[in-house]
Amino acid sequence: MRGIIFAFLAGACITLQGVSNARISQDIGTWQAATITQLTGFIMSFLILLFVRDGKWGGLKQVKPLYLIGGAFAAVIIFSEVTAIQQIGVTFTISSLLIAQLCLTFLIDINGWFGMEKRKMRLPQFIGIGLMIVGVVILKF
Amino acid sequence: MVIGLILALIAGSLVSLQNIFNTKVNEKVGSWATTTLVLGMGFLASFIMSLIVEGNRIFTLRSMEPWYWISGLIGVGVVICLVQGTKRLGPTYAISIVLISQLGFALLWDSLGWLGLEKVPFTWKQLVGVLVIVGGILVFKLGGERETQKAA
Repeated sequence: MRGIIFAFLAGACITLQGVSNARISQDIGTWQAATITQLTGFIMSFLILLFVRDGKWGGLKQVKPLYLIGGAFAAVIIFSEVTAIQQIGVTFTISSLLIAQLCLTFLIDINGWFGMEKRKMRLPQFIGIGLMIVGVVILKF
Repeated sequence: MVIGLILALIAGSLVSLQNIFNTKVNEKVGSWATTTLVLGMGFLASFIMSLIVEGNRIFTLRSMEPWYWISGLIGVGVVICLVQGTKRLGPTYAISIVLISQLGFALLWDSLGWLGLEKVPFTWKQLVGVLVIVGGILVFKLGGERETQKAA
């Protein structure tokens, strides 16, 4: 039960994050909003890291440099998401975003890109993606 | 509308890539070190983009409301909830709930127009659309065993 509540809150917070970024962007600009929210998040997370001490810094050297800069994508993610929310609304934005996210993850899984374990495509996953796209079309037309 | 849609698709693709990259880092250095690194990188990239786009005008933050400073903490909340949820439910069920909750709150937000965003009036068509998407997510995530069930 607590797991369900955590997962539910995580989803709520992800959407809230997009919405509050969109709101802040109206006042101070989108890139600045991204800068400030990431900075305060970074500081908080750094403090928690100091407190819990779960960092295994030696491991950093074993990670491919490409994977270490993944965080930098957030700049483009926030900019695109905020601009989309302002233009097409929260529901349409999140729906399209999730479809792209699931499709690409799926594509990476079945091809085993980035050293991911290869997975076979099954019918339910195709039906699922199909249904999601139908849902977005219903949403909009 | 098309531009908004394309931007949303770009954002989704990058989220997918970022999740995979972060998982790789997470395996080696632990979850808070990963979160700190990810947010630090995001800050640097956004800061550089701000400088390129706006120049040093960015240092005069005129219309800052106090709560803007703490909204970044939502991201930390996301990490805590994701880690705890996944630990208890496993990735498949946890991520299914996360996605559905994201959509539900999106619809709620549009209908209520909180935080001064433009209100998108609630219609039954929207609810049906969201429910069909939720159905799609459930079929995608829970329908039929895939070969391996490691990451979601």
